[in-house]
Amino acid sequence: MATFTASSLSFTSLSISLDQNKGLARGSVSLPAKAKSFGALTLRSAPMRFRVSCAAKPETVEKVCEIVKKQLALPATTEVSGDSKFAALGADSLDTVEIVMGLEEEFGISVEEESAQTIATVQDAADLIEKLCEKKE
Amino acid sequence: MRMQCLDTKFFTSSTSLAPIQLPSRMETHLWYVIPNEVKSEQLLNKYLEFLPKSEKEHVFSLRGDELQKGALLARALVRTTIARYQINQVSPRSLKFRKNIHGKPEVDWQQIEDWHPQQLHFNISHTKSLVACGVSTHNPIGIDIEEKERKIKHSISSFAKRYFSQQEVQLLCSISDPEIQRQEFIKLWTLKEAYVKALGRGFSGSPFQTLTIRSVADSKESFHLSESSSFENSDIVVESLEDSANLTGDWQFALLELVGSHYAAICLRKDCANKCSHPMKMSVWRTIPLVEDEYVSGTDSVIAVGGLM
Repeated sequence: MATFTASSLSFTSLSISLDQNKGLARGSVSLPAKAKSFGALTLRSAPMRFRVSCAAKPETVEKVCEIVKKQLALPATTEVSGDSKFAALGADSLDTVEIVMGLEEEFGISVEEESAQTIATVQDAADLIEKLCEKKE
Repeated sequence: MRMQCLDTKFFTSSTSLAPIQLPSRMETHLWYVIPNEVKSEQLLNKYLEFLPKSEKEHVFSLRGDELQKGALLARALVRTTIARYQINQVSPRSLKFRKNIHGKPEVDWQQIEDWHPQQLHFNISHTKSLVACGVSTHNPIGIDIEEKERKIKHSISSFAKRYFSQQEVQLLCSISDPEIQRQEFIKLWTLKEAYVKALGRGFSGSPFQTLTIRSVADSKESFHLSESSSFENSDIVVESLEDSANLTGDWQFALLELVGSHYAAICLRKDCANKCSHPMKMSVWRTIPLVEDEYVSGTDSVIAVGGLM
C-alpha cells in the first residue's frame, strides 16, 4: 500500500527492487483505487500505472519470481527480485527454457528464441512479458 | 614476465599439471572434475588464484556455496586443462579468454607472448555434481552434460512439442515406459545442446527445433528409434528441415555415460579432409587439477552410448 506525504512517496510493503545507489530507478507503482488529490498530483479512480521507466508492473515481476522459484525449487524464503539473474540463482540451460515455457503458459504469450536469449534477469523477463502482452491487445 | 616466473616457481612444487599432447585432428579429449572430490579449502584457494578479477567476481556473484564452488571448479578446470597442452609456454593464470560475436567463450591467444596455438578448441559444461571440459584441435567442439536422474517440471511431451522437431516428438511420444522416455529425452537434450554449443551461435542462432538428431544402425540403414534400440552404440546423425548441409553434414556426435550418473554429449565439427562418418576417438580423464589425473577411458566411468569408437 502506498501512502503519500507532502513531499515523498513511501511504501510499506511492495515487491519492487530498489537499487540503493540509483534510488527508484526501475519498477512501476500501482496506486490504490481511491481517488485522491495531492497538490499537483490528481489521481483517477481507476488503478493507474505510474511508470517511472518503461518497466514491468510489480505484479508481473512478482509472478516471474514465483515461476523462477518454482522451477529452481528454491526455498520460499529465498530473496528473488527484479535484479536477480537466473544464472546466479542456479538456472542452467534446461531450467532457462523451462522458465520461458512457464512464462508462456502463465501469461498466454509466445516467446521467440531471439528474445528469450536476451533474458538474463527477472526484470528482463517481466519487461518482455509486458511487451508481448501489449502486442496481444 | 614476472607473472610467468611466479607460476614457474609454483609448478616446481609438489602440485603440478602433468603435461599432455594435444589431441589429433579427429580426436577429442574430455576432462572432468567431481566437486565432491575437491574438499580442501586450500586447494580451492589455489584455484581461485588462477582467476582474474572479473572471473572471481562472477564466481562470488552466484548464490550459495555450491554454485560458487561449481563455477570456481569450471574456471579452474578449463584453465588448468588448456595449460597442460603447452606447459612451458602458458600457465593457468596467464590465459586470457574472450567471447566470439555470438558469446561463445574462446581463448584469446594474442595476449600470450611467443605462442602459436594449434587452434585449440574447448567447451565446458557442468551440473551440480560434475564439471567437464572437452578439448579438440582445429575443429570446434561443444559438450553438454546432464544428470541421468534429471527431472523436468513440464511433461516430456509438452517440452518436446515446444522445443524439439516433429520427428523427435513422435519418437519420444512413442516410448511407453516413462522412465525410458525420460532418459531418451535427457540424451536428446544433451545432444542438441552440444550441437548448439559447438556451432557457437547461441540458442536462437541455431536450428534447434528444425533439427532432428537420431541414431542410425551400424548397417547404415536408417530407421526410427524404438524403445529397445534407442541410442545404442551406433552412429548418431543429424538432419535438418532446412537445406543447410553445412550445418548438419559437417558434425559428428558422441554420447556417453559418465561415472554412472551423467549423460555427456560431444559434438565435433568433422575435419575438412575427412567428411565420411566414423566413430569419434575420445580420451577421458578424471582429474583433481594440481593433485591427480586418472585416465578413465575403457573403465566403468565411461560407457559409450552412441557414436564412439
